[in-house]
Amino acid sequence: MNESIRYSSATSPVPVSAGIGLRFPHHRQVLETTPPVAWLEVHSENFFGGGTVRQTLLNVRRHYPVSLHGVGLSLGSAEGLDPGHLRRLADLVDIVEPSLVSEHLSWSVVGGEYLADLLPLPMTDEALQVVCRHVQQTQETLQRQILVENPSTYLQFQHSSIPEWEFIAEVARRTGCGLLCDVNNIYVSACNHGWDADLYLRNLPARAIGEIHLAGHAVRTLDSGRTIRIDDHGSRVAPEVWSLFEQALRLFGPKPTLIEWDTDVPALGVLLDEAGLANERLRAARQADACAA
Amino acid sequence: MPALLEVQHSMRQRLLVPGPPNADLLQEEVLAIYRNTVTSTLVYALRLSYPAVLRVVGAEFFEGAAHEFIAAHAPRSACLNDYGDRWPDFLAQFAPAATLPYLPDVGRLEWAINRALHAADAAGIDITRLASLGDAALPGVSFAVHPALSLLQLAFPADSIWRAVLDQDSAAMARIDLTSGPVQLLIERDAHGVQVRRLTAWAWEFTRSLAQGKPLHAALDETAAPEGDALNALLADHLSSGRFIDFSCTGEPKS
Repeated sequence: MNESIRYSSATSPVPVSAGIGLRFPHHRQVLETTPPVAWLEVHSENFFGGGTVRQTLLNVRRHYPVSLHGVGLSLGSAEGLDPGHLRRLADLVDIVEPSLVSEHLSWSVVGGEYLADLLPLPMTDEALQVVCRHVQQTQETLQRQILVENPSTYLQFQHSSIPEWEFIAEVARRTGCGLLCDVNNIYVSACNHGWDADLYLRNLPARAIGEIHLAGHAVRTLDSGRTIRIDDHGSRVAPEVWSLFEQALRLFGPKPTLIEWDTDVPALGVLLDEAGLANERLRAARQADACAA
Repeated sequence: MPALLEVQHSMRQRLLVPGPPNADLLQEEVLAIYRNTVTSTLVYALRLSYPAVLRVVGAEFFEGAAHEFIAAHAPRSACLNDYGDRWPDFLAQFAPAATLPYLPDVGRLEWAINRALHAADAAGIDITRLASLGDAALPGVSFAVHPALSLLQLAFPADSIWRAVLDQDSAAMARIDLTSGPVQLLIERDAHGVQVRRLTAWAWEFTRSLAQGKPLHAALDETAAPEGDALNALLADHLSSGRFIDFSCTGEPKS
């Protein structure tokens, strides 16, 4: 594959500090109180329409850098991207002028039907080509770099032939996209599949990492007796994930970091508190960087 | 090695189509995690768009019906605000809901409200530009309506039911006469949010003809619209409310 055109990310970069995912229950409070948080991330698809919903985002944008995080583009769909979906994303990007635009290493659409989850891809050469083609198509349409996020998964395909960390690093290398390193997802998948989370991190290209995600997950015991970790974004960040975050910062240096919470969304103060915990670690990483320099 | 498209079709089948559990317990219990996420996300999307239907039938009934709906009608868009347009028609033929004949109409109203909430922004036409055409050209003018606008004619007074249900106003609910005949509604978005208005039968039919892109003279011919003040007032209200976002002047007035 030819080396693709290198797109730059936004002109106003997101601060290397902690942000929070902005969800509907907090829209009004954030606009009325403009809490001290460095940046905000929203799900792109929630703002594809107009009216007061989009106006709220534009008002938020006047106070904060905003990251658009897509959950529906389906980069891994064998049948190709939905051009209508891509156009709506491009329209939103034009209006919001986000600092970051991200999507997932997963698929959700087949036969024109949207299966409302981030589904796992077989890690094969074919899937790698499909994902790279769609990342390039997206970057060409948006005329900017996107970040691609590593998924959390509960199953692996027997015919997978490429470790996920090599697969996603290769997507970045071939397309020039950045990576959104979800540390919680790495922890969840590593536990579920018996991977080495540290090895995963060490195989990611530090320069490509544009953002880190942190979230809570659940632990369940299935009928077979197997324990599985489920990425439900419904609790505080687990202690093991904080440790893995510290390791990520040692390897990558300080990066913009986001607290995500989607299930049983708590009071805004809880999210700000988690962002504060991330900021403590980002400060420590900056100091370590300064000492090493 | 299975092709990616093949893997994705077979996973869709396993996630959406109810069937006997696979013999492979380990695989099935992991697929169930994905299936639960897909289903609960779609049920949640329906709950957000249909709060009055949810309150009328209760969470358990709603969820059971939604599971059947989802298996038959997966979303065609990855934007979940677009999901559920076929839910009212599904309820109309869903046997367990047959004792609530007004339920599909409440659903149709809620879908129009959902559309009004999420439709794209569009500016109303410049009235001075329309006026510059001159009186003689006006009968041949046709309009494009705002994407947030819906016109519904419903057999049951769904607007009254919808308000009473969401306000949990049992006195208002008791006053509703289900046999009072059809209602003609205009649903739109204005600066204050979504509005549900009742129109008279002629005003609704005239407005619908215009919304279908028919020129003024044809809309007038088709409906029992009274000439004069009432008609002028209706057109003025449409224009000042920004319900028309474009116009063209191709329709020839009948001689």
